[in-house]
Amino acid sequence: MARQHAVVKQREGHLVRQIRAWGRRHVYSFMSSLGTLYRNRLGTLLTVVVLGIALVLPLGLYVTLKNLSRVEPVSRDLGTISVFLTPEQDQAAARQLRQEWAAWNGIANIRLISPAEAFEEFRQVSGFGAAAQALDINPLPWVLEVSPAALQDDGVPNVAALLERLEQHRGVEFAQYDLKWLQRLQAILVLAQAVVRVLMVLFSLAVVFVVGNTIRLDIENRREEIEVMSLVGATASFVRRPFLYAGLWYSLLGGLLALLILMIAMFYLSRPIEQLVAAYEGSFVLQPLSGSGAAMVLAGSGLLGLIGAGLAVRRHLRTLNIG
Amino acid sequence: MIKFERVFKQYPDGNRALRDISFELESGEIAFLTGHSGAGKSTLLRLIGLLDRATGGSLLVNNRNLRKVRQRRVPVHRREVGMIFQDHRLLSDKTVFDNVALPLVIGGERFTDIRKRVNAALDRVGLLHKEKSYPLMLSGGEQQRVGIARAIVNRPPVLLADEPTGNLDPELSADLMNYFLQLNESGTTVLIASHDLALIRQLGRRVLVLKDGQLIDDIPVTEVAVAGVS
Repeated sequence: MARQHAVVKQREGHLVRQIRAWGRRHVYSFMSSLGTLYRNRLGTLLTVVVLGIALVLPLGLYVTLKNLSRVEPVSRDLGTISVFLTPEQDQAAARQLRQEWAAWNGIANIRLISPAEAFEEFRQVSGFGAAAQALDINPLPWVLEVSPAALQDDGVPNVAALLERLEQHRGVEFAQYDLKWLQRLQAILVLAQAVVRVLMVLFSLAVVFVVGNTIRLDIENRREEIEVMSLVGATASFVRRPFLYAGLWYSLLGGLLALLILMIAMFYLSRPIEQLVAAYEGSFVLQPLSGSGAAMVLAGSGLLGLIGAGLAVRRHLRTLNIG
Repeated sequence: MIKFERVFKQYPDGNRALRDISFELESGEIAFLTGHSGAGKSTLLRLIGLLDRATGGSLLVNNRNLRKVRQRRVPVHRREVGMIFQDHRLLSDKTVFDNVALPLVIGGERFTDIRKRVNAALDRVGLLHKEKSYPLMLSGGEQQRVGIARAIVNRPPVLLADEPTGNLDPELSADLMNYFLQLNESGTTVLIASHDLALIRQLGRRVLVLKDGQLIDDIPVTEVAVAGVS
């Protein structure tokens, strides 16, 4: 019994020693890879810049699209139906229609716009303020601004049937909804998102190949060192590890650079964009990538670097008859 | 410690580098392996260090049958066999200390232990004061001693040296051989491939003679001392 206990103790001790040795090998590979990158500072810098530029292009497009989908006209103004009543409809009739339609399915909200309000808005926005003042009467009718309730999968309100029903209702002159315009805009956004996805895949492949090629050159440059390490008892994983770490560093630094470039670009563009939106009487603040988004970018780029380095190491160490 | 039984080595191109080699080297013994260029000396050492595999026969080192060692266990075996190469195989961009420390780093030893053991190994070959030098700053003899320090730092039970005095003058060669004798006296089994017959004769140890891949003579210590090697 005591002997069995001693054997178990001995095995545990051996396992702990093995784990500690494994940890020390990782520390060595970690430091060794950083040392190699530092010694080849210029080469490292060039690789990181290439990776940073490759990553910032799809990243920039992604952030642009995210911001575009937040632009107010898309989400608010274009999501409503303007129902123009016939000229003989008065305030009481308009209120009655609002009450009646509010009970319909598929309507979220109805705003009543009086002829006076509409005239004032026309006078301010149209640029024909002076000409409008010359009119003796207000020719504008009562308008009901109807917000449809449900959205379809593509983000376009399901309003075709509602529009037809409103147009055929008594007291309605016509109903206007910029459905086609909105559909086109949504289609453009969907297309742009697809383009961004394709670009992301392409540039991700570029990152994998750039890192893979850099690691391939590193392996070639350190061929003698690898052979000597193998001669004195290095395992394939020991030889592989510094190159995998190097791939990780390259891509992480590339990811960091991409985030930095994106921040600078957004800072530079934010004021002109705000001024442009303000000229259209809107308010818009350019939203940067969130903290979790930045972390995702770093994690993603790190993973791509590891994949690139892993492929290169696997392919080229085999030619050296290691692993 | 090292036992060859009817060992063959044939390369894929048909070249038969070793044929029917049988001999035994006891633990703590020292022997020389000699023969002309291409006789098979280096191949024999490579088989012991598992840098190559035998194609026939049985080969035991430290009671381990090398024919049956799996590929993933090869590094473990190499760490237990110190090897010294004629061209030193030192890393020119690493210091003497880092070169000698390499097997210990690979073994995952503690950094404090690495320092102690590397210093001890360098002290043993008389190069402690050169630990921060780079190999290219050293003479050929000093580089070879760094190679020896790297081979012994792991305290391997078996030490193999392939033409260690190949590029050295006679005086340095004698010095190096004395290092090997000292290591052997401390219990390490040593096998040295050399074609320096004068030196081998002078040391008067067991000699294995190879010719065209065959072991043609195995001369014990006493006979070498009396008759010399021809």
